[in-house]
Amino acid sequence: MVKRDWPDIWGGLAIALLGLGAAGWAWITYDPGTLRRLGPGAFPIGLGLALAGLGLAIALPALKRAGAAVTPEPWAAACVLGAILVFGLGLRPLGLVPATALSVLVSTLPAPRPGWLWRAVLAVLVTGLTVLLFHVGLRMTLPLWPRT
Amino acid sequence: MTRLTRRAALALAAACAAAPALAQDGWPSGPLHVYVGFPAGSSPDTLARIVTEPLAERLGQPIVVENRPGAGGVIGIQQMLVAAGDDLTFGTTINGPLTTAQRTMDDTGYDVDADIVPVTLIATSPLVLAVNAESDIADLQGFVDAAGAEPEALAYGSVGQGSGAHLTAELFAAEAGVSMLHIPFTSYAEVTTSIAGGEIDAGFMAPSAALPLVEGGQLRMLGITSAEPFAQVPDVPVMAGQAGLPEDFRAELWNGFIAPADTDPAVVERLNTEINEILADPAVQEQLLAIGWVAAPGTAAGMEERIAQDTAMWGGVLDRIEAAE
Amino acid sequence: MGTWDGLLTGFAFALQPGVLVYCVLGVTLGTLIGVLPGIGAMAAISLLLPITYYIGAEAALIMLAGVYYGAQYGGAVSSILLRLPGTPQSAVTALDGYPLARSGRAGVALFTSMAASFAGSVLGIVVLVLLAGWLSRAAVAFGAADYAAMMVLGLVAASTIGSAHPAKGFAMIVLGMLLGCVGTDVNSGVQRFVIGRAELLDGINLVALAMGLFGVAEVIGNVRDPGRQAVAGRIALRTLIPTREDLRRMPLPVLRGGALGSFFGALPGTGSTLSSFLAYAMERRVARRPERFGTGAIEGIAGPEAANNSAAITAFVPTLTLGIPGDPIMALMLGALVIHGIQPGPMMLEARPEMFWGLVASFGIGNLLLLVLNLPLIGIWVSLLRIPFRWLYPAILVFVCLGVWSVRGLTFDILMVAGIGLVGYLLALARFNPALLLLGFVLGPLIETNLRRALLISRGDPMVFLERPISAFFVVAAAALLVHSLVQARGRRRAVGAAAPDDGAR
Repeated sequence: MVKRDWPDIWGGLAIALLGLGAAGWAWITYDPGTLRRLGPGAFPIGLGLALAGLGLAIALPALKRAGAAVTPEPWAAACVLGAILVFGLGLRPLGLVPATALSVLVSTLPAPRPGWLWRAVLAVLVTGLTVLLFHVGLRMTLPLWPRT
Repeated sequence: MTRLTRRAALALAAACAAAPALAQDGWPSGPLHVYVGFPAGSSPDTLARIVTEPLAERLGQPIVVENRPGAGGVIGIQQMLVAAGDDLTFGTTINGPLTTAQRTMDDTGYDVDADIVPVTLIATSPLVLAVNAESDIADLQGFVDAAGAEPEALAYGSVGQGSGAHLTAELFAAEAGVSMLHIPFTSYAEVTTSIAGGEIDAGFMAPSAALPLVEGGQLRMLGITSAEPFAQVPDVPVMAGQAGLPEDFRAELWNGFIAPADTDPAVVERLNTEINEILADPAVQEQLLAIGWVAAPGTAAGMEERIAQDTAMWGGVLDRIEAAE
Repeated sequence: MGTWDGLLTGFAFALQPGVLVYCVLGVTLGTLIGVLPGIGAMAAISLLLPITYYIGAEAALIMLAGVYYGAQYGGAVSSILLRLPGTPQSAVTALDGYPLARSGRAGVALFTSMAASFAGSVLGIVVLVLLAGWLSRAAVAFGAADYAAMMVLGLVAASTIGSAHPAKGFAMIVLGMLLGCVGTDVNSGVQRFVIGRAELLDGINLVALAMGLFGVAEVIGNVRDPGRQAVAGRIALRTLIPTREDLRRMPLPVLRGGALGSFFGALPGTGSTLSSFLAYAMERRVARRPERFGTGAIEGIAGPEAANNSAAITAFVPTLTLGIPGDPIMALMLGALVIHGIQPGPMMLEARPEMFWGLVASFGIGNLLLLVLNLPLIGIWVSLLRIPFRWLYPAILVFVCLGVWSVRGLTFDILMVAGIGLVGYLLALARFNPALLLLGFVLGPLIETNLRRALLISRGDPMVFLERPISAFFVVAAAALLVHSLVQARGRRRAVGAAAPDDGAR
């Protein structure tokens, strides 16, 4: 137990800032309109301000309260998100097979079991399954390999 | 192994394509990809499939229709341009992304003149003006009278700001000398429901969107925006020349076949010829009519001219809308 | 043709081997793509559409419909087992299904969802047969003001889903509504928060949002969690079978959820995602001990699953009776019919009775097939839990990416999943409830568009919300509910000091 409820403090502040930012941007950029013809700015400004208020309502009481600690997993997050990026950015230039295999290898990096063999086997299995399901089964028009 | 040999063949074909004299002989060297900016099953998608199926047969290569829906068809063109460069990537599109999108969007990401070459118009589609079947408005003159009683006396629905339905209605209003209240929706389904429920008064829409409710006795069609009566709804009178509208009043959506600007001119020529022959087939014309389009074959230059005309015409309407705001 | 004759004709038609096989194919495929996270009915139907050119119109429609309602069954499986919604509709099922699975009762959760899905569908079919005419008139009678008022009621009703910490719950709803503003504003055509990307003009992709918030965030949080690495030991058959207590809890939520879903399904533009959320909110509202929700309440599975399945059936009401597609998937189905030269609408029942009644009969057959197909599969699904998570999640990530990609084929959407996944992970760390964000995202644009449209149509007169009887009813109901919850909250605060249960975010 820590003395303050840090997740709520940071979460609340981030949300408050996001709300303020959105409301501010909408205020500058979009017309709030009139009651008869509510403009494109009316809702974003209102929602942004409401979000800012709620964010403070979350963060302020948390200052005086103990909360459960959290343990972020930056390495796991980086690898999982990296795997998605590798897949997304690799799909078109590399084709489905290399993109899938690479993505699987990246995503298994933080897995709690050492060794490379199971990772390679998994990459082959997942790639095979993906090709079977999406290319053969659902007939998605995706290049399997790099173009020429 | 076959994969490798095919890739080798593709590479060889690509090398051949570099020599312009040989381009026609070797083309098409592989499957064609036709980008459509609308989802599978939509009217522009069905139209693309009606045309590409016989086209694939004629060219002896499969054609993959790539649906890239979004932003009123603009995404389809963007994605075609991303994939371009092999003389095998093309697109079909409605008029919006080539004529009005540059005005209604902050940035389309392409320049119609510099990045796209027209191949041929495929088909055109008029819009009908529909009102609730129980309304007192009997004909177009009655509609103009009711709309002219006071500004914004009538409210009409469209499928969005800057959509064909919106611009056509504003063109109509300007020509008839009336002003109506515009209520944007996102689909014809919502517009027709709203008219049938008596919430709004009217709307310009594709004939096929109005037909089910007309048959069900909930909607009535007052006029059509084409120069001639439309075979799908032969009884609906042409608007031109009626109720104070000019004789040359015409507003049509169209759908055309396009290619990226760097496409070999010989390929564009070949495609134009093939598609024109396909569109001459009565069976194809009938299929198009069933989904609300009338075949409109022509030259690439003809399509270019149509793009210029419509860009100017709708640009004028957009000017008026902006001035009114 | 009377209802009875119609049904007989329909069953005679749908039971022909040449038609039945497409029904079987459709529901099987639907279950499969429903289970796969990311890829949903929409993508599967668009991919199948070209194939339907080569089969009869009736068989094509029956197959595509089978994919559609079959996906609703399958979607719950991955929600319950992995807390990864197979489809956005089943996201809410994870709230109670996953805790139940964690406590070793995955089989019971799956059974509940299958049984509720089936019962909900049957209810939907009954409504479709008996009340189609009434529902289609109701759909036409609903105006913008009515939609806006109804959605506000939904918002008020649903805002207590994770109520252990009300400010955090409201914040998620508001954040969801704000995200719903991204894209072209329907009323003005102004492009909001699109950061210059045309890919965002139609808004944030719902599938990308659901998969990022739930799927990716869940994967990140569990990659290194040894507790998530396979359920130890054998699974006793006993844990697969619901107790009498479980069964007793099911019928009422199923009826309520099914009724709610039937109604929302028939209204154009509301969709089955919303109906499952609202069914969950309703169950929580009527429950005597709402604090059980989020920890494995049977009612929290039964209500939403019945709702989204009945909505999937009644979604055909406006499509078939008016020719008006209520959601993008229905527009796709309509497109499939038009390709075959059939114009759905009020005339279809007379012009092609075998099509209408054949489809209705196929709903019955298909749902029975789904039940028969899925009940024995429960054991197999549960044994999935014995596979170590590290063998599963790389495949899950790839499937999520491909599923999102399949919606419109844009790399941008895959990158969005990564971005939303990061946000989702941070929200999960701070114990925010992502289900409420999704709810706000679905409800927000409906409220904004309809509210502004109603004011535009009324020429700026706000009294329109009280003058229209339907709208007035919803406004009064929403106000009453709001007052009731405020009074209740005060009472509870006085009674209980602290000791709030976990709000279900983690």
